[in-house]
Amino acid sequence: MKELIEYIAKSIVNAPDDVAVNEETDEEGVKFTLQVADEDKGRVIGKQGRIAAAIRTLIRVKAAKAGTRASLEIL
Amino acid sequence: MGGEPAVVRVEPLASLSQPDSQVIEVAKGVLETLLGKIGVAATVVIQDKSKVESGVSQIVFDIKGEDLGILIGRRGHTLACLQFILRLIVGHQIGVWLPIVVDVEGYKARCSERLRALAQRLAERVRVGGVPFSLEPMLPYERRIIHIALADYPGVTTESIGEGNARKVVIYPK
Repeated sequence: MKELIEYIAKSIVNAPDDVAVNEETDEEGVKFTLQVADEDKGRVIGKQGRIAAAIRTLIRVKAAKAGTRASLEIL
Repeated sequence: MGGEPAVVRVEPLASLSQPDSQVIEVAKGVLETLLGKIGVAATVVIQDKSKVESGVSQIVFDIKGEDLGILIGRRGHTLACLQFILRLIVGHQIGVWLPIVVDVEGYKARCSERLRALAQRLAERVRVGGVPFSLEPMLPYERRIIHIALADYPGVTTESIGEGNARKVVIYPK
């Protein structure tokens, strides 16, 4: 899942080297935090959070296949 | 207040009336990478892009494989997200906006067919009965299918009303 988030983020930002994804697992599932360069924030969030929402939907597919839950936060 | 007129430079994304095959291959590769990272075993088939709808040629990628309902989601929501992300990545990487449509096992093609048939039936009812009919809320591309299907239908006109997720098509007698 981490690679999926990383791949999407790196593919849509201007500073792919500044993309970092953190992963934390607790009883609720896996929590990911995505960090990008300040000027790229809009590129991963999108108007009304549309891009972030779409990324979340895709990681949920992967999580469902793995029988777990996943959440994504953008820092 | 002083100042000078702002200069706004807008560079159009190179528009491709006839997307070249190299660009299509790049887009296909991105979709395959996405699917691989999502973890579904599937193949991507480029559909005959000569299929022209309302003058706009679309590049249709049909994803084929076993048990892909998970990629479609409720009312095609997941599929819409996949298409959105793919267009975004391709747009960012090659600086060209492509009219890419992502489908799963012909799901959208079947839905479109069903919508067109529904539109025809309802248009006939409106034309004969003279009473407007309002359809249930639909996604933009679904409403578009209805509008296009009935553009030349005699005796009726269509219009979308409502906002956001509640936007729906109404068929009116002319």
